[in-house]
Amino acid sequence: MSLFEQNFSVFLQGFGHTLLASIFALVGSLILGTIFAIMQVTNSRTARSIGNIYVQVFRNIPLLIITLFFYLAVAKVIKMTGFTAGTIALTLYTSAFIAESVRAGILSIEAGQMEGARANGLTFGQAMRVIILPQAFKVAIPSLGNQFINLVKNSSILAFVGGLDLMYQGNIVAANSFDTFTTYIIIGLFYLVITLPLSYYIQHLEHKLKKNA
Amino acid sequence: MSMIEFKNVQKYYGDFHALHDINLKIDAGETVVLIGPSGSGKSTLIRTVNGLEEIEDGQLIVDGQDLHDPKTDINKIRRDVGMVFQHFNLYNNKTALENIMLAPRLVLGREEAENKRIAMELLEKVGLADKANNMPSALSGGQKQRIAIARSLAMKPKALLFDEPTSALDPEMIGDVLDVMRDIAKDSSMTLLVVTHEMGFAKAVADRVIFMADGRILEDNSTASFFENPREPRAKKFLSQVEHH
Amino acid sequence: MEKAKKRRFGLIATIILALAIVLGLFWAQQTVAHNAKHQDTLTRVKKSGKIVWGTKADTKLFGLMDTKTGQSEGFDVDMAKAVTKQIGKQIGEKLTPSFVTVSTASKIQLLKNTNIDGVFGVMTITPERAKIVDFSQPYFPAGQSLLVKKDSGIKSVNDLNDPSKTVLVVVGTTAAQNIKKFAPKAKTIALQDYASAMQALKAGQGQAISTDNAILYGLATENPDYQVVGGTLTNGPYGAAFDHDQKPMVDQVNQAINTMKKNGVYNQLIKKWFGQVPGLDWHDLEVHE
Repeated sequence: MSLFEQNFSVFLQGFGHTLLASIFALVGSLILGTIFAIMQVTNSRTARSIGNIYVQVFRNIPLLIITLFFYLAVAKVIKMTGFTAGTIALTLYTSAFIAESVRAGILSIEAGQMEGARANGLTFGQAMRVIILPQAFKVAIPSLGNQFINLVKNSSILAFVGGLDLMYQGNIVAANSFDTFTTYIIIGLFYLVITLPLSYYIQHLEHKLKKNA
Repeated sequence: MSMIEFKNVQKYYGDFHALHDINLKIDAGETVVLIGPSGSGKSTLIRTVNGLEEIEDGQLIVDGQDLHDPKTDINKIRRDVGMVFQHFNLYNNKTALENIMLAPRLVLGREEAENKRIAMELLEKVGLADKANNMPSALSGGQKQRIAIARSLAMKPKALLFDEPTSALDPEMIGDVLDVMRDIAKDSSMTLLVVTHEMGFAKAVADRVIFMADGRILEDNSTASFFENPREPRAKKFLSQVEHH
Repeated sequence: MEKAKKRRFGLIATIILALAIVLGLFWAQQTVAHNAKHQDTLTRVKKSGKIVWGTKADTKLFGLMDTKTGQSEGFDVDMAKAVTKQIGKQIGEKLTPSFVTVSTASKIQLLKNTNIDGVFGVMTITPERAKIVDFSQPYFPAGQSLLVKKDSGIKSVNDLNDPSKTVLVVVGTTAAQNIKKFAPKAKTIALQDYASAMQALKAGQGQAISTDNAILYGLATENPDYQVVGGTLTNGPYGAAFDHDQKPMVDQVNQAINTMKKNGVYNQLIKKWFGQVPGLDWHDLEVHE
């Protein structure tokens, strides 16, 4: 416990960075993922291939490599810190998985919903936004929940590029205190502080939507 | 003045020739019923009118605009041409009232109080004012279809397309839907194109009957003479089969 | 009402389960640590006939994995081999060395868990570390220095004392603390290993790498655009590390190192590994007694 007290401010700083990176990446990947999911279900062949290539690229490359790419290569052109590089990589990587979840959600909605909306005079965009996506997200929530929890845990990638997150601070505390085990247990608990309420909230949302359906 | 005009229209699904050289003219205010055996292309034909199916060749002029011209804004045409589907296609995430109010709000920018007043009037008209706040999942098939009709009418369309509106309904629900459609047909300003198997309805409201088979229009006749004395042997055979049902 | 109760029960159950797992892990760790205390390293070594050494695999000149053989090679590795042989002579038994790759972060935990008997791993002797592990006598006179790009204009640690400057260090080294002392305004970023730090330096993520000169010379031999500058900030000689309270083992190792320094084995190894390093006079490292 003294390890915890002595390094409290360090852990808190790490926790803050992890939380911040998670929130940025969560919002960013949800927006990006939805855009690329929609691209994959349009009639335009170009949009479909762009969406498909994007998803395949970012889903099939290890997150560490994407992170290092931004930290070591892109940073030569556009200055960015490890935190920024890691958060961008986390956003892109997660967005590919979210695109797949949202796409599956969209495809599960019967075609009549889109036809009805288009025949009613709505544009493709309006129909997507008001009719299709709200229904698709409902279907996709369990899978999106998994992606979000993975995202929080995957944010530990920031440690590899000096991203000041929980894992980064944990590595330093572990190395300086020589008590690796206790340190990582504390770090693990901090992650639980984010992931447990998140899982719980998603379950709650699932129940609520089931009741409405 | 013609509302809908097909000129040598061809439609293919891959190698399958779905519509053969269609020529057809429907005047504003006319009520036309389209009949034929299943697979005859009548659903395909009606779906080309609001661009849900694209045509490969010919001209399809709706409200003065050629749908085959890439410059034509299909969304603009769809404001004026409503459609009622076999499976209703109500918005599952919206209440009955919201189903009706959505497109006028988003597409026409109709003012909210006005929008609601019109929507409630239409619910009244289709006999479902008490279901305004129901979700589609809490409505019967016949109720859904009447809401869907109200949804189309809320756009105040020049033409309305009905694609087998009663085929998915239980027999006891059909009457209510046909009653609503009859009321609409009485309003002589709206052009109606109806694909249906309800011969009684066709006899009662149609100005003209068009008989299709194998992607071709075989007969285009006034309602009275079509039912009394069809020219085409296949139409004759079709009528006898339907009436024996 | 029923549902709300069930949901609350689910939440409480989840929290209890999480706590149980955490406490269980603590208990397991305590048990392992407790059992480990009674182990005498020298006794264990005598019984097994071998010494298991932790060495690095990512540090040129000291312990670097040869991708062809899969074996680490370097001064530390050769020291470990020679010391093993010498101890064998001292205790009159045949001993063989065996090697486990350790990272900077894991080496102490591995010692504590008795996964390894000792560490030759570019490990600076510090008072904090000496509370937790036993060190041998110093076997290499290292000191913290700086690696910078040749055209950077940085000549000493004073040039880095600026909020716009970032100094790259490696997790688990003492370099960050010393930079805070000598250049308090500079930022430090810790990376996982020296290869990552070198890549980050090349990408402009920092203006200097700071760690032991011995390691920096290794990096400089591979990256001719970079040079070691500023002399040594600290004296941080390397020692071999063992679990706490292992005096018999440490005595054997100290005796072995003394013998090697006298009989020339030590100087041979210095020449083998540091004879060709540019900017470094290996004769300074030789021991004459």
